[in-house]
Amino acid sequence: MKKASLFEIFKIFFIIGLQLLGGGYVIVPLLKKYIVEERNWLTEEELVDFYAMSQCIPGIIAGNIATCAGYRTRGFLGALMAIAGIVAPSFIIIIALANILSGIIEYPVVQNAFWGIRVSVVILILLTIKDLWAKSVNSKFTYTLFSIILICLLILPISPTLIIILSAFIALIYGKIKEQKNA
Amino acid sequence: MLKLYFLLFYEFTKIGIFALGGGYAALPFLYYMQAKYNWFTVDELTNMIAVSNITPGPIGINMATYTGFTTAKFLGAIISTVAIVLVPFFMTIIITRLFTKFQDEKCVCSVFEGLRPAACALLASIGIKLLIDTITSRNELSAITIDYHALILFIILLIPFSFFKKNPLLTIMAGAVGGIIIRSLF
Repeated sequence: MKKASLFEIFKIFFIIGLQLLGGGYVIVPLLKKYIVEERNWLTEEELVDFYAMSQCIPGIIAGNIATCAGYRTRGFLGALMAIAGIVAPSFIIIIALANILSGIIEYPVVQNAFWGIRVSVVILILLTIKDLWAKSVNSKFTYTLFSIILICLLILPISPTLIIILSAFIALIYGKIKEQKNA
Repeated sequence: MLKLYFLLFYEFTKIGIFALGGGYAALPFLYYMQAKYNWFTVDELTNMIAVSNITPGPIGINMATYTGFTTAKFLGAIISTVAIVLVPFFMTIIITRLFTKFQDEKCVCSVFEGLRPAACALLASIGIKLLIDTITSRNELSAITIDYHALILFIILLIPFSFFKKNPLLTIMAGAVGGIIIRSLF
């Protein structure tokens, strides 16, 4: 395997970042093409394993996979180049758009468009909830946990961080109890 | 100003650690941040989410850059973006070093199983609040009335888009066109 230059790592992840549209899962075929098939920076098996594993690491999946592939290729600097590459297109495009939008947001037609877009965002969130629900709320335990948290959140403004920490404890304890029952 | 940068860094580092499962998981944190600091309005935040959805790049990064920029300009954008990837970056390196071959880490993954319903409930609470917020409006006496224009647009958009695979670009374009038509004709 030819050693990749740091610039090439940055470049490839920049190109991947530019093509990420519509969130999450589109990254797998892109990585397969650029990293596995064209460059051998990861084997296909490593990619699949790491993708599964990255669901269990905090953070943005695309960023984590980039870090992993960069690190495997050129160590710490490689990881740094990879994460910089995947973040750069987002950063540049958002800053440019933010400047353009703040200049035209006062026009009535733009205001009306964004008024409608807010309805779209609600729909996108509801559809995401539906997907998440189908994947995660499927037993008495998960159903109870979901209901309690939702009711609490609708009544009180609780910090999401606190909810996640408490749920992690509950899930850990529940896992241990279930293990003992099965043993 | 220095305090603002520090707060941004702190809040986005927290999102990097605790928002599990893709870009949308960051939303409850952002709405909570909005209520806590008032760096931007709810409507501004929703606009930023929409733009983050239809521009290239991971949604989580887009939202960090955008909210950081809105709060504290260019430096704010850099701080938020770096903060959101910082902890996961080092965690990924550690894990990549530890495991030459990745296998299912049963204990860690079972905790994450339990966290998914929590992440879902967090998002559901935001979804419900935003839905109510969108289809109602307050009049001068601060009584709540239904915003029929928004309700109609909601129903028109919900029916087709709930049948097809999720398509953020198309959903947002349809909302924009619908918004322009409804708001300028009625």
